[in-house]
Amino acid sequence: MQPSSVLVLKAVFSHYWRHGWQTLFLLVGLIAGVGLWSAVQIINQQARLSYEQADSLLGVQASYWIHSRTGKAIEVDDYIHLRRAGFRQIFPVVEAEVSTQQGQPISIIATDLFALPNNLLDSGEGDTASDWLSFVQPPYRAWVPRQLAEELELQPEDQLLLRDGRRFPPALIKSHSQQGRQVLMDIAAAFALLNRETFSYLVVGNIEADQLSQLESLLPDRLELIENQQHLDLQELTQSLHTHLSAMSLLSFAVGLFIVFNAVRFSLWYRRPTFMNLRLMGASSSLLLSAVLIETLLWSFVGAGAGIVVGLQIGKVLLPGLGASLHSLYDATVDTQLIWQFDTLLKAWGITLLGLLWALTWPLYQQLKRNSLPANLISRASLDERQSRHYLALSSLALIGVSIFLYPRIDDAISGFLLLGLLLFGAAWLLPTLLAFTLRLVSHLTADRQLIARWLIGDGWAQLPALRTAMMALLLAMTANLGVGTLVDSFRSAFVGWLEVRQSADIYLRSSKIDYDRLLDPQDSSTWLADSHRRIGVTSRWQGRQTLIRGVDTGAPDSLKLPLAQWSGITPEATLKQWQSEENTLLANEQVHYLAGLQLGETIQLQTDKGLIDYRVIGFFYDYGNPNFQFYLPYDEVVNYWTQYHSRGIALWLKKNDEATQLLAEKAMREAGAETGDWILQSQVRKLSLNIFERTFTITAAMNALTMIVAAIALLASLLAILQERLPQFAQWRALGVRSREQMMIIACPILIFVLVAWLLAIPLGAVLSWILIHKLNIVSFGWSMPMRWDMLPAIQLGGVILLVVAATLMLASWQLRRRMPNALAQLGELA
Amino acid sequence: MKILLVFLYLVAPIAISADSFEILRNDVEGFAKVVPGKLFDFPADHGPHFDYRIEWWYLTANLKDQQGNQWGIQWTLFRNALSAKSSESGWSSNQLWMAHAAISAPDGHSFEQRFARGGIGQAGVNLDNQFEAWIDDWVWRSDGKSLFPAQLKFRIADRQVDMRLSSNADWVLHDDKGYSQKSEQGQASYYYSQPKIEIVGTINGQPLSGSAWLDREWSSQPLAQNQRGWDWFSLHLSDGNKLMLYRLRHEDGNHWLSGSWVDANGNLTPLSNDDIRLSEKNTRSIKIDDETEITLPLDWLIELPEMNRQFIVKPLYDQQWMETSFPYWEGVVLVEDESGMRVGEGYMELTGYQPP
Repeated sequence: MQPSSVLVLKAVFSHYWRHGWQTLFLLVGLIAGVGLWSAVQIINQQARLSYEQADSLLGVQASYWIHSRTGKAIEVDDYIHLRRAGFRQIFPVVEAEVSTQQGQPISIIATDLFALPNNLLDSGEGDTASDWLSFVQPPYRAWVPRQLAEELELQPEDQLLLRDGRRFPPALIKSHSQQGRQVLMDIAAAFALLNRETFSYLVVGNIEADQLSQLESLLPDRLELIENQQHLDLQELTQSLHTHLSAMSLLSFAVGLFIVFNAVRFSLWYRRPTFMNLRLMGASSSLLLSAVLIETLLWSFVGAGAGIVVGLQIGKVLLPGLGASLHSLYDATVDTQLIWQFDTLLKAWGITLLGLLWALTWPLYQQLKRNSLPANLISRASLDERQSRHYLALSSLALIGVSIFLYPRIDDAISGFLLLGLLLFGAAWLLPTLLAFTLRLVSHLTADRQLIARWLIGDGWAQLPALRTAMMALLLAMTANLGVGTLVDSFRSAFVGWLEVRQSADIYLRSSKIDYDRLLDPQDSSTWLADSHRRIGVTSRWQGRQTLIRGVDTGAPDSLKLPLAQWSGITPEATLKQWQSEENTLLANEQVHYLAGLQLGETIQLQTDKGLIDYRVIGFFYDYGNPNFQFYLPYDEVVNYWTQYHSRGIALWLKKNDEATQLLAEKAMREAGAETGDWILQSQVRKLSLNIFERTFTITAAMNALTMIVAAIALLASLLAILQERLPQFAQWRALGVRSREQMMIIACPILIFVLVAWLLAIPLGAVLSWILIHKLNIVSFGWSMPMRWDMLPAIQLGGVILLVVAATLMLASWQLRRRMPNALAQLGELA
Repeated sequence: MKILLVFLYLVAPIAISADSFEILRNDVEGFAKVVPGKLFDFPADHGPHFDYRIEWWYLTANLKDQQGNQWGIQWTLFRNALSAKSSESGWSSNQLWMAHAAISAPDGHSFEQRFARGGIGQAGVNLDNQFEAWIDDWVWRSDGKSLFPAQLKFRIADRQVDMRLSSNADWVLHDDKGYSQKSEQGQASYYYSQPKIEIVGTINGQPLSGSAWLDREWSSQPLAQNQRGWDWFSLHLSDGNKLMLYRLRHEDGNHWLSGSWVDANGNLTPLSNDDIRLSEKNTRSIKIDDETEITLPLDWLIELPEMNRQFIVKPLYDQQWMETSFPYWEGVVLVEDESGMRVGEGYMELTGYQPP
C-alpha cells in the first residue's frame, strides 16, 4: 500500500524538528542572503524614487530655476516683482551649509511656505496648526528629520549650536515631504540665522509655454532661467553607485546561498534512510520529489518573508549614511523614510526560490539516482566528490576564460561587475581542486611519516566534500574583503594626498559681497597675506553633462602644484608652465577624459560670449568626487570671453598660520564685506571633505563585514554538519582508544590546511579584484583614476580573524562532540 | 462678516477640528479692543489697523453682460496678525494676508484662495500716495487716497477681471456709528460699508456693469462661545434701497440678528433683533466634491415687520460653494417680493454648515 501524501510530507519534514541546527543554518543562510540583497534593493529603490522626485522641491513641482548669472544671490525685490507680475508658481529658496561644533556639516533649506504654489494646507501630513504658526513666527522652529536629530542627539526644543557660536531655532523633530536630511526652516529664520537678506535661487513651478516666454522677457539681465534637468542628471550620475551596491548585494546573496546549498545538501543526505524507507513502503519517486518541492516552496516563503524584514532593518540603518553621501556628492535629496514596495517582496521571493531550486537540483538529482543503492557512505561520496570537483574545475576554467575574453571589452559598470562575478566564481569553483591538490601534495610529502600524519590526510579527504562549499563561500568573502578594502585604502590615500595639494590655502572665502580690491590692497594686507588666488567660473553644459569653466590664476601656489593625472609635456611642471604661457590651452579634469573620451592634445570648441573658441587639452587633473566636467582656463581668458562669469571665491595663504595672523585676516575680511560663515579654515575644509569620504564608504564597509559574518556562519554550519554526519565514526575512534584531544587535532588539521589554501588564494584574488575595481570599474563608473595601494597588513589581519573564527567554530564543535559522544557510544554498542 | 472664517483659518490652517474652536476662545490679550464711540477718520481708516487682530476689505458686485445675463464677483483681502506684538515690516513681520476671489458666471462658479506673508511687499494695503490693496497680481488701486474711483484687477484660472469702481455716496457706519456689536457678551467689530458703488469693466474682454458693495471691518475679539456660524445678506433693491443683515447662529436657537437699511437718499436705519425676521424657506443639497454633499438653506424669507416689507431671497444658481481652507457658500442671489416679482439682487454668505 502506498503511504499517503500527508504521511510522506510528515516523514520528510520531521528532519527539521530533529535537527535544530540544520534548520537554524538553513534559515540563517536564507535570511542573511535575502536580507542583504533586499536591503540594497530597498535602498536603491528609495534613492531612485527620490531622483524621480527631483523635478520637484519640498513636494512642489520645480520646472525651472531662476539663478543669478553672476553667482550672486537673488534680491527680495526681484522676487516680489515677479510675484506681482502674476508668477505665483515662483517661490524663493535659501540653501546653506553650516557645521556643528563637532564639524558635522548640516544643510539648511528654507522657503516661504505661504508662497508655495500648491496650497500649503494640503502639503503637510499630520501637521498641526501650531506647527505652522511656530514655523513662521519668532523664535521660529527648525524642522529636523528624525534620523538627523538622533545623530545629533537633538531633543525637541533644543537649539543646535553651530561652529561659530550661532544657534538654530528650537528644534521640532519632523519632516516635510522631500526634506531628506536637510533642516527645514522659514526664510525669516534662515535670514536671521545666516545674517543674510537674499535668496539662493527661485523655483518656478508648473508653467505654461506662453507664461514661460512672458517670464523670460520679464527677467532682468542679471537673472537667468534654467530648466530643471536634475531628475535626468541624478539618474545618470548615480547609476554607477547603485550598480556597485547591487553587485555587493548579489555577492552577499551568493555567499548566503552557499550556506543554503550546504544545508540543503546535508538535509537531503541525512534523510537518505527516510527516503529509502518511504520508497520501500511504496512511495513513488515523483511523490518524494513533490514533497521536497513543497518543502522548498515553504522555505522560500519563510526565507523571503523573514529576509525582507531583516533587509528593511538593515536598510533603515544604512540609508541615512548613503543619503548624506548622495547629498554631498550629487546634491540629491533622499528621503530617509523607507518606502515599502510590494514588488521587492515578490522579487525577494523569486530569487530565494530560484536559489533554493539551484541549491537543490544537483543534490536531489544525486539523491534520487542513488536511492536504491546501498549506503556505502565514504567510498561513494569520494567517487562523487572527485567527479563533481572535476566538473567544477572545468566550469571554473570556462568562467576564467570568458572573463579574460571580456576584460578588454568592459565599457560600463554592469559589464565590469559581470567580469568580476565570472572571475570570482571561476576562482571559487577551482578551489576544491586546489584543496585536493594540496592534500595530495601534503600526503606525498608525509608519505613515509607516521600513521597519525597519514590519518590526518585521510581525514582531510573525508572532510573535503562537506567543507568544499563553505570554503568557497569563505574564499569569496575574503576576496571581497581584501579587494574592496584595498580600493577604499587606495582611494583614501589618494584623496588625502590630493586634498593636501588642492587645498593648500589657509583660508577659503566665498561671498557675493566682497570688495576684493580692498581685501587685497598691498598696504593693508602686507601684515598677514602671503598669497591669494581669486577664482571665477561659468557654468554650462558640455556633451550633455554639467560643466564648470573655471578661470584660475595660473601662477597661484595651488595652480603651480595642480596634481595632474596625465600631461602632454615632459613633466607635469613643464605642462603647467606651458598652460601658463601658451594661448588657447586648457586643463580638463580626468572625468572629461574617461567619460567623454577626450584625449591629450585634442582640440575642443567652447561656446563663449564671443563665439566658438578652440582650445587644446594639454593635461588632465585629478578631481575626486566631482560628478561633473571641469575645464581650467587662465583667469583673464574667462574674463575676456565670458561676460556672465561668477565668483567662485578666493583662497588666502597666510604669512604665518597662527592665531594672531588669522585674527588679522578675519578683520581684513570683515572690512572687505565678509560676514561670519563666509569663510572656512583649511583644517575645517579637510575635516568636512574627509567626513564626506568616510560616510561614502560606510555602506561598503558594512556590507563587507556582513558578508564576512555570513561566510563565518557558513563555515560553522559545515563543521557542525560534518560532526553530525561523522558522529558514528568518531565513536568508533573513541572505542579504538583515540583521545578527544587527538581526535580534535585530526579534525582541525585538514580544516586549517583548507583555510590556509583559501586564504592564500584570496590574497592574489583580492589584489586582482581591487586592480579591476580601481583601474576598470572606477574609471568607467566615475571617471577618475588613482594609484592602487597594496598593503599586506589587512591580509594578515584577515588571516588572524579567520583563524579566530575557525578556533571558535572548532571549540563549539568540540563541545558538541563531547556532549553527544556518550549517546553515540551507546548506539555503537547497540549496533555491535 | 467673515470673522469666524478668518479666525478659523488662522488657528487651524491644516484641518478644521473641534480644537480650533478651543483656540478661538483663547485670550486676545495685547490686541487693541473694539469699544463704542470711535470717530472714523477717512481716508486713514481705509488703511490697515495693525493693532487689531483681523481686518478685511471685502467687495461683492452684481453685474450684467450686454445680453442681460447675471454675473457676480467677490474679491476679499484679509489681514491677520499672528501675535499681539505688531511687527509690520520685514521677513519677521507677524502679519499674514489671505485673499479670496470668485466669479459667478452664467456658465458656472469659480474661485481661488491666496496667502502671503506681510512685511515683504508681496501683499498689503498701502495709503502712501494712493490707496492700494494687493496680493501678488490681484490688486485694487485707487486714483487717490480714498477707495474710489479705483481699478480692480484679478485673475482666476483663465478669467481676467478688470473693473472700474466709482462712488460718491456717503459711508455707511453700521449699528452704533460703526461700532457693530456681535453678541451680548460684548464681542464687537468696527464695521462700515459702501453699498452704492458703480462698477463697469470686463471679464476676458466681455463688457459688464452693475452695482458693487464694499464692506470694511476690523476687530480683535473672537465670536462668542456659543456662536457656530452665520448667514449674511447684502441686497441692492430695485427701488434704490440697500439692505444688509446677518444672523449669528446660536446653539440654543436664540440667534443674534442685526442689519442696516439704507434708503435711496443714503439715510441709515439700523436694524436689531426685534426688527428682523429671518426664516429658511428651502434647503437643498449641493456637491462639494465627488463624494460629499452638503445641505444648505438656499431660499430665505426676510421680513421687516416695522417697515412692512418682505423679501424672498434665492440663489442665482445653487453651486456657488467656496471650497477654501474654511469652506463656505457665497454667491449671487436674486430678490423677489411676496408676489414673486423680481425686486432686487445681491450677495449671500452662509458659513458654519457641516457636511453630514
